[in-house]
Amino acid sequence: MTGFLDNLLNGLALGSVYALIALGFVTIFKASGVLSFTHGSLLLLGGYLVAVLHDDIGFAGALAVAVLVTAAVAGALDRLVLQRVGGTDPHAAHVQTIVTIGIDIVLVTDLARRIGGDLLPLGDPWGNSVSDLGPVTVADSRIAAILVSAMAIGGAFALFRFTPWGLSLRAAAEDGEAAALMGVRLTRVRTVAWCLAGGLAALAAVFLVAFPAPGLERTTGQIALKAFPAAILGGMASPVGALVGSMLIGLTEAFVAGYQSELHVLGEGFGDVAPYAVMVLVLLVRPAGLFAAKGAARV
Amino acid sequence: MSDLLKKSTLLERGGLLKQGRLLLPALLLCALPFYLDAFWLRIGLFSMAAAIGAVGLGLLSGTAGQLSLGHAFFLAVGAYGYVWLAGEPGPGLPPAVAAVLAVLLAGAAGGLFSPVAGRVKGVYLGVATLALVFLGHHVLLTADSVTGGFNGRSVPPLEIGGFTFAETDPELTVLGVPFGAEERLWYLGLVLFALTWFTARGLLRGRPGRALVALRDSETAASVMGVHVARYRSAAFVVSSMYAGLAGVLLALSFRRVVPDYFSLLLSVDYLAMIVIGGLGSVAGATAGAVFVTALPLLMTRYADQLPLVATPGSGDGSIGPTEASRYLYGAAIVVILLYAPDGLHGLARRTRARLRRKSPDTGPPGAGPTSRPPATTANAARTKEHTP
Amino acid sequence: MTTRTAAPPALEVRNVTVRFAGLVALDDVSFTVAPGTVHAVIGPNGAGKSTCFNVLSGLYRPTAGTVRLGDAELTRLAPHRIAALGVARTFQNIVTTQGTVADNLMLGRHALSRAGFAASALRLPRAVREQREHLAKAREIAELTGLGAHFDAPVALLSYGDRKRVELARALCLEPRVLLLDEPVAGMNAAERTRMTEVVREIRAELGLSVVLVEHDMGLVMRLADEVTVLDFGKAIAHGTPDQVRRDPEVLRAYLGSGTTGEDAA
Repeated sequence: MTGFLDNLLNGLALGSVYALIALGFVTIFKASGVLSFTHGSLLLLGGYLVAVLHDDIGFAGALAVAVLVTAAVAGALDRLVLQRVGGTDPHAAHVQTIVTIGIDIVLVTDLARRIGGDLLPLGDPWGNSVSDLGPVTVADSRIAAILVSAMAIGGAFALFRFTPWGLSLRAAAEDGEAAALMGVRLTRVRTVAWCLAGGLAALAAVFLVAFPAPGLERTTGQIALKAFPAAILGGMASPVGALVGSMLIGLTEAFVAGYQSELHVLGEGFGDVAPYAVMVLVLLVRPAGLFAAKGAARV
Repeated sequence: MSDLLKKSTLLERGGLLKQGRLLLPALLLCALPFYLDAFWLRIGLFSMAAAIGAVGLGLLSGTAGQLSLGHAFFLAVGAYGYVWLAGEPGPGLPPAVAAVLAVLLAGAAGGLFSPVAGRVKGVYLGVATLALVFLGHHVLLTADSVTGGFNGRSVPPLEIGGFTFAETDPELTVLGVPFGAEERLWYLGLVLFALTWFTARGLLRGRPGRALVALRDSETAASVMGVHVARYRSAAFVVSSMYAGLAGVLLALSFRRVVPDYFSLLLSVDYLAMIVIGGLGSVAGATAGAVFVTALPLLMTRYADQLPLVATPGSGDGSIGPTEASRYLYGAAIVVILLYAPDGLHGLARRTRARLRRKSPDTGPPGAGPTSRPPATTANAARTKEHTP
Repeated sequence: MTTRTAAPPALEVRNVTVRFAGLVALDDVSFTVAPGTVHAVIGPNGAGKSTCFNVLSGLYRPTAGTVRLGDAELTRLAPHRIAALGVARTFQNIVTTQGTVADNLMLGRHALSRAGFAASALRLPRAVREQREHLAKAREIAELTGLGAHFDAPVALLSYGDRKRVELARALCLEPRVLLLDEPVAGMNAAERTRMTEVVREIRAELGLSVVLVEHDMGLVMRLADEVTVLDFGKAIAHGTPDQVRRDPEVLRAYLGSGTTGEDAA
């Protein structure tokens, strides 16, 4: 029973961190139709900034700087590079998606070179302390992950719902052309979306490398890709779907890892790749994702 | 002018002239082993293998518009398929048979994924195929009895009718040049590459190629013209997997050892870089991109001590090694090419040719007569809603 | 090569209703396209004409109702199966694919040819021969539609009117029994319109196919159509010959009452 609760909490913590990343994917997708493959490097950038800054300005300061800088970098990439690609080509969003891969190669190469073979500690206040919650013992970092993610996600949803930007975002996602005619400045809407996604990715980095993970390493960025299955499960354009998808992915990973010994046919470390197995299974049944709205193709 | 145009129809163009133009480079490539040492031959060999894989990915992502990040998986199926089928443990089949079966195996693996590949379109397929790379890598690590686990397996040499593609057996010296593994594999690579070139061009210029282009440009138009959308998407995926499998076999033979970590997401991204840099949708472009992406890090490693900014490999943390330098370069190349020349190296070459031709007076590009208007982009046309004349 | 029988079966649209998320785009629409005739579907913007075409070509599945071509029930079939039955269409916004006019027309021959991946990759003699035969046919159709001189030109370099013609020629390459033309002269100048009208008249006389025509240009409709169906807000409000429809008070009200497209009725 405690095993089950352990896994449940682990899964929720993992899921809430994936949700931070997946929400970023979905926001960018809604605003511009682009799938961001740059997320791995944005996440790595956020983590790296916290790692190098926390000694001098403290963890909280480092985190704040990391979130802001990563948001700014993401916004700048969109404004200075992506928006200039593709022009009036109807497939512009697809071309821009491939450009995000190119950007990712450059950024990840550079960050990986700086990190080298090291494991960088982020100096987070939770360290390796644990708390007792009734029958189970939980790492404080996990509790923090759930709480902080919940707040950040709540904040993001408030932005979607209550700000002019959120309204513009929804209008742009419905019909970009019509929104533009109504005076929505699409370029700004999508740049803000990228900023938000960048900030969320930096925040996620902190919890991905917190205890019991050993620290930031050059491959940490690849974890961001697991938010893709989450976003796909949720139908790519739905923030709520992304949230649910993330939880499903987090729980799957935690339970598969937790019951590793019973699932040994699948091989050691299957938990790490289980999200992708889930994604394939879901796509087999529902190619457009679990929560995708059914719409007829307009001609 | 219209007579001139008629003669140069797309489909009739593959006449004598074309074959003459192909003959010279072919002869040159055949002569190279007599002049180049093993280092250069290995670069050429890896480039040829990469080109075969890139042509396959180009068919899928460039022609059919279906992004795939799962190419490394199918390369792995080809490579490991060959090693297992021809080796011990494994059925120990004759290597030539194993090579053919490995290609078919890669195609079958692509076919198994077709329920997804046929229905998930464009860049979304790119996300779906991430699963193949990660799950595939997991299998390569854990299925020790077949794959050898983390340390991988050594590759049995190819042998056709008593002739082995290795250092000896039989000993061979041609015109005073000893023919070792590199020289022999070079010719194997050339044959396989020629086969790839021939078949891929046949596909692109035939009925399937046109259907795939139509699918990419407008799924709607393709389907009302009779193209079975899901079937053609799946078929493109299977064909691309088979080219990847063939490339995998050739890579395995060249490396002589296969390890799981080679077949990572980075490899898939390399192949994507190749076709983007070369220019989406063309066989020649994919080849050029493959040579660029493959040869660059190898050349940089070799000449690191003579290049500014590039440190020799292993000179410590934080310095820019040849591998990093080349990744910066081709990462940036993807961005710059899509920003300024979306049709890549191939388009660049074509435009240069067109510009040169325009200098001679009577052969302008077709349609550039006085009646034609500036090309309106399809985007404008697609935006035109209900007309009210 | 397949050859179609000279007389196409009737195209019957029965009680077709299409709903999108609460919006009724077509409401219980019925009409019959008699074999070998030109049947125009007209109506103000947003009346459901394009939706109607999308149902006929299988892109939309209606919420209720059926479309039959002879024995075949089109509403059960995927677009590529409908194409194989000899139903071809054009789009009001030009939808051509990359490449030359020849490439686009050869796409029109897709349903009539069979070379698959293996045969094309290996360039088997039968694939090469088939390609040559279909190319000859495509060239013939290009000549018929006045595109002969542009046969090898990239479509992107053609004028607007010529690209419209490419769409028509591509549809004809399917050797259709029923041809669906979605605003074939929209955006064309007077000379181009006259020419397009001539082409449509010619192909219909020569090939004996049925034509369903969506068009705003009433002059063209009056000259070409044998029968007219008028749609308004998704409902068929009138049927008849062009003359009957022109005098129908319901039709006048739909056009004049909607205000924005009043000049179309003139």
